[in-house]
Amino acid sequence: MSTLALPAAPARWWQNRAVRRFARHRLALIGVVMITFLTFACVAGPWLLPYDSLFIDLRARFSPPLTGQHYLGTDPLGRDIAARLLMAGRISLLVGFCAMVLSTLVGALVGVIAGYRGGWIGAALMRMVDAFLAFPSIFLVLALAALLKPSPIMITVIIALTSWMEVARIVEAEVRSLREREFVQAGRMLGLSRSHIMFREILPNAMGPIIVAATLTVARAILLEAYVSFLGYGIQPPLPSWGNMLNGAQQYLASAPWLAIVPGITITMAVTSFNFIGDGLRDALDVRSDPV
Amino acid sequence: MLVFLLNRLWQSAILLVIVSIIGFTVLNMIPGGPLAQYALDPGMTQADLDRLAEQMGLNRPLPVQYLDWLLRMLQGDWGTSFRDGVPVLQVIQRHLFATLLLMGSSTAIAIAIGTWIGIRGATHRYSIFDYSATIGAMVALSIPTFWFGLVGIYVFSLRLGWVPAGNMYTIGNESVLNYLHHLILPSIVLSLVNVAVWSRYMRSATLDVINQDFVKTARAKGLTERRVLMKHVVGNALLPMITLAGMQLPSILGGALVTETVFTWPGMGRLFLDSLGYSDYPVVMGLLMFSAILTVLGNLIADIVVATVDPRIRVG
Amino acid sequence: MADRKTTNKISRRSALGLMGAAGTAGFLAPNLLGKPAFGATPPDAPTGRIIVGLSQEPTNFNPLMVKIEVDDGVHFSMFDALFRVMPDGEIVPNLAVEVPSQANGGISEDGLEWRVKLRDDVTWHDGAPFTAEDVKFTLELIVNPEFRSWRTAGHTLVREITVVSPTEITWRMEEPFSPYLSFLTETFIVPKHVLEAEADPNTAAFNQAPIGTGAFKWGNRTAGDHISLTANPDYFGEGPYVEQLVFKYIPDVTVLYTQFKSGDVDLLGRMYITPDNYAEAVTLPNRVVKLEPASSVETIYLNLERPVFKELAVREAIYAAIDKELIIEALYYGLPEPVETFMPRTSAYVHTDLPRHEFNLDRARQLLDEAGWVPGADGIRAKDGVRLAFVNSTTSGNHLREQLQQFVQQSLREIGVEMTIENLPAAVIWGDFWTQSQFDSVVVGITYLIGPDPDVTNRFHSSAIIAQGGRGSNNSQYKNARVDELLEEGSSTFDTERRREIYMEVQELVRADLPFLPLFSDNSIRAWKTGIEGVEHNGNTRTETWNAAKWYWAT
Repeated sequence: MSTLALPAAPARWWQNRAVRRFARHRLALIGVVMITFLTFACVAGPWLLPYDSLFIDLRARFSPPLTGQHYLGTDPLGRDIAARLLMAGRISLLVGFCAMVLSTLVGALVGVIAGYRGGWIGAALMRMVDAFLAFPSIFLVLALAALLKPSPIMITVIIALTSWMEVARIVEAEVRSLREREFVQAGRMLGLSRSHIMFREILPNAMGPIIVAATLTVARAILLEAYVSFLGYGIQPPLPSWGNMLNGAQQYLASAPWLAIVPGITITMAVTSFNFIGDGLRDALDVRSDPV
Repeated sequence: MLVFLLNRLWQSAILLVIVSIIGFTVLNMIPGGPLAQYALDPGMTQADLDRLAEQMGLNRPLPVQYLDWLLRMLQGDWGTSFRDGVPVLQVIQRHLFATLLLMGSSTAIAIAIGTWIGIRGATHRYSIFDYSATIGAMVALSIPTFWFGLVGIYVFSLRLGWVPAGNMYTIGNESVLNYLHHLILPSIVLSLVNVAVWSRYMRSATLDVINQDFVKTARAKGLTERRVLMKHVVGNALLPMITLAGMQLPSILGGALVTETVFTWPGMGRLFLDSLGYSDYPVVMGLLMFSAILTVLGNLIADIVVATVDPRIRVG
Repeated sequence: MADRKTTNKISRRSALGLMGAAGTAGFLAPNLLGKPAFGATPPDAPTGRIIVGLSQEPTNFNPLMVKIEVDDGVHFSMFDALFRVMPDGEIVPNLAVEVPSQANGGISEDGLEWRVKLRDDVTWHDGAPFTAEDVKFTLELIVNPEFRSWRTAGHTLVREITVVSPTEITWRMEEPFSPYLSFLTETFIVPKHVLEAEADPNTAAFNQAPIGTGAFKWGNRTAGDHISLTANPDYFGEGPYVEQLVFKYIPDVTVLYTQFKSGDVDLLGRMYITPDNYAEAVTLPNRVVKLEPASSVETIYLNLERPVFKELAVREAIYAAIDKELIIEALYYGLPEPVETFMPRTSAYVHTDLPRHEFNLDRARQLLDEAGWVPGADGIRAKDGVRLAFVNSTTSGNHLREQLQQFVQQSLREIGVEMTIENLPAAVIWGDFWTQSQFDSVVVGITYLIGPDPDVTNRFHSSAIIAQGGRGSNNSQYKNARVDELLEEGSSTFDTERRREIYMEVQELVRADLPFLPLFSDNSIRAWKTGIEGVEHNGNTRTETWNAAKWYWAT
């Protein structure tokens, strides 16, 4: 996850300064530390815990936290919540991360083409973006989840399908303003191909806002996955995800509140981390945009 | 201006058609459909299901169904709900009040608290208050709303018993007080995110204004800091906020959806989930169009405001 | 536990006994048992209000239009049918004055001619008199091709409906069809004088503010929230004793239960208290909490056309590998009863001596070994290139079933069978996926009977397989020539004794063939505030408010 902290763009004049600024951003550092810790725990944790995340033990169901070696208690099937939480983290973080990559790719592609080509192609693409934005995203997610068979890959695709518009808008605006700049004009005069100019010359210059938007997309994707799985349309059991661990927790709210509290706090931690990092990146990369 | 307006309206109309096509296609591609709910009924034979599909026009080709829907829509006929045979507009209208009540009260809370936090954060920049507000806002934006609602129900309803666990009012006691009692928890939960958003906007809007010349002049004229703030800063910062409010209109449905589900609030969000669950296509389409029209209107108003206020900006 | 089991057995046996005994004895007995010892009496005039909590919203108020279970609650309170079915399965007159039979001449010897005599003292809520014309109109509306009617089975056989007099109607059946009497207990009569005037019965104003003959009149509806009915003081039958009957919609069962605890809701029915809350619910002060046998049977439906399920040995092995008792005890808090048949426990036709399920992993392995399914490298068995792997689905969001699935999944892995879980939203799973048999296996609770009639042609006759061009709901694609033969005979004879024999044999055959794995029959937890009298469970209807006319607050 630490790759995120280091802008992946080719070395530019601002890079060093940006890194320094980012390092000074205390919240962003907290975010990096938290998410690194979470990632590490999810990767290594399941081997260190005494229970397997899928092991069902009906006699031990609904054990509250700190019962024996069930540090976070057990669920309605007597499975160890700590083990499930960490396994779920692998899936939820991976889904969030992959959805981000996918939606950023789609968004950047659409944005660059729309911004550079302009004209009716640009207008058509951007109206498409508007149309997708006019839907309550939860409708698209639920409808698509009903349409496609739910698996981690499908959920990733679905989330990406509903969150690429933000990036597309940012990139389009950025590209539109860069289109007439000298280095682009120069490239055109040198006879470089259109795709070369679009993706090699212009896109790298729009990297800052893209990285910021991408970071925030991870946060959004984790939240969406949680909500969809909470409603039962997402990741299917027995595979745990942070969202589907909450699925059913409402029913046991009075008798086993830890079922709801533990995954909820974890989700909040992960999402907060990404929001912190995004905020730090925004400052470091000097991205003007909405202050949210 | 007129040309700009017409142009914008034309684009909005096309946008709405695209939205309706996407919505209609996705909705109808979901396997199952409105008749699935009857399939477990021991007395409903396939012949019955086929007959209903025929009567409801569900066995026609999709493009035909869509064009039929679109033509009726253009004449102002939003269709009739499959579930209760009531015209869609009436169905929406029946659920509108509950949603507006919830949205209204949570927005009021958000504006009141958000404005205060935002201005205070801006005027006391880099103070502990400002930092906590920034962190708080970011954490608030990171909490899953549905989960926050659950925790709220657990603590304040199940454990402490201060507020009801859901619903809009108690049957037989439809006093204002009873409504308020039911309103407290969901509107606070829903306003959490809004407070965060508003306070951040307010902070940056205030910062934008605070260092401008006319404010400096006012301060130089010896006006108290408080009066400067109230008169100039808030006045000027509120304008973009109004635009923001316009832009937030469409989030009525999306935002209400989650909260209304958790708090069993009889509004449009829950209507949407219920209708989706029963594949009540006319109502789902109606709600989608309703929210799309709000979005388009919100954007339009925002554009017009911006164009009127600042004639230099030409919105293409 | 032991206590409850005995009670159930007794009630089952007594129900069978009563079935044989004619007339009023069977009608009265459950009522006597239901009456509290101190003998509260209903008030002279309708007083008070009862709020019924529902987790689904009734939205359809025309009782003939296509509807779901939850709509029945409103219909039973506002309308009457020709006959009514009692908890013990006995059919008694409602709008009719007697139940037609071959013995009393109401049904001809060949089962084709029907004659029904009607009450002369019934008026609609708007004051107009009820006559045989209304019955004729109703039966004709159901088969009107333009009308979005609910079930038409049976009704399509009716010919030559003749109004002999305002209190007498006759018709002829295309073929003898004994279940029709049961169907008529769920066929509510609608007013001709109101609906006739409407251009389109599908969008009639009547559908939003119906007029019936029942104990309650339409009050008002707040969409998405509640429906309120008011007492009909001119009701011809017993009751009503409460002034207002409210159906409150609360989609979340947890909130529903909380509201019941806090007193905002007076009565809950069906599955609205989840098993995990049962232990707490019985300790609530001033609440009556009762277990009532549900008429649906929880099963794992198998698609017999799937290669893995074609062999009986595989089905038997999977059945043997499911630890039913533990599932019931642990996941369902010991509330349901294990069953071996599709027939509801409350039915007079239930077979109680079917072979008992036995949880035995060794036996399961042995069955598979003998059938030639050998474990492969991954531990999953295979035979002739077919892996013993299948998908199991159920409605997503049904937490208890999801727990059951995961438990079964673990058990099956131990005998070398791979089960994958793929759950789908309700509107998706019960669409073509279910009706066209596109599933491998499904966890589903099914009510097999229509009213009290034991006919299950729809479910088990080989001509009822939709995926093979049939017209029923034989979703497991079950085929057994002997079962076909029995079902055909069963639905055309009016001889009760012969029908008993037939459906006993059907149950034996189905148990042996295992087109589905019968798991258990739920005991639904029903609860109401102490002081509400007259509440009675009726497994032959789909609603807890079937007799709301008789409810009253003890004073």
